[in-house]
Amino acid sequence: MSLRNDQAAKTTTGVSKKAVAILLVVLAFGVFMVGFDQGEVFGFSVPADGSGSPSGTNWAHEFYHDMRHAAGLPCH
Amino acid sequence: MRTFTFIAITLLAGAIAGTILSTINQGIVEPFIEKAIALENQKAMSSGEMINPTQFENYRIWQKGGEIAAGTILGLSLGALFGLVFAYARDSIPASSNKKKALILAVIMLFVLYIVPALKYPANPPAVGDPATISYRQSQYIGFLAISGFSALGLAFLYRKLGKDGKHEAKKILVPAIYGAIMIVAYAAMPPNPDPITAPMDLVIGFRIASGFTMGIFWALLGIILGTFWDKLKPHETTRVRTL
Repeated sequence: MSLRNDQAAKTTTGVSKKAVAILLVVLAFGVFMVGFDQGEVFGFSVPADGSGSPSGTNWAHEFYHDMRHAAGLPCH
Repeated sequence: MRTFTFIAITLLAGAIAGTILSTINQGIVEPFIEKAIALENQKAMSSGEMINPTQFENYRIWQKGGEIAAGTILGLSLGALFGLVFAYARDSIPASSNKKKALILAVIMLFVLYIVPALKYPANPPAVGDPATISYRQSQYIGFLAISGFSALGLAFLYRKLGKDGKHEAKKILVPAIYGAIMIVAYAAMPPNPDPITAPMDLVIGFRIASGFTMGIFWALLGIILGTFWDKLKPHETTRVRTL
């Protein structure tokens, strides 16, 4: 949308602390979950892969397995 | 900066780019992963392990679904980082629109966060990594990634501090040269991946090219999408005042 001739935009470059905090939490959680989790986050829970395995299985790692490889992150 | 608009477009751009990444991976990277897993299974069966083909096929369908979810989550998180860096760096990037500025930044971040770490610790398909060394390999990768990322961040502040007045034109050569020197030292100092590559090299190299190609598409899309949103919604404009 363009401004009318008699208007000017007031701009600020500062990012609020709230925005920085929210985005850093999203960054840390997402990268850890997909890239580096070895059962720390959902290791307590029953596997969601339908295998009927007991809780404690590292199913989240297996769930994200293909993206972990595809994104160049270390995996087994 | 309008906080809600900024967060919304940042996360939306990341989620879209990440979901597209995982979708195209199904056609470009998955064939290599399937071949590598078939090799793993052959090896396991030859050592006496029993694998139920139907059960395993269902398991792989579940894992491929997980890749889509993982792409969205990874896109959200890398999008969050990209949005923050873009918000602070936008004024320093020489381009006529936010879309072009975001694309330039996306190429730089692809280089710093994917290409440079991959020169030391390249992507590998399944059948290469030893589960026993995963923690060690993760710490190696995080270490090298952190050196690359924080060096680039520190040098970006230095570049900005040297000003836009043209007095410090040498910074355009000096700053990248310092980054290159740091990464060459880190490359030489960091230990190599401890796992020997036993899978066929054509499979490994094909996988690496496919991974690099789709990650390149992801970063380019992230830049284009966030830049387009930024041009349209202008989250940096807080108010519009009437002038005389």
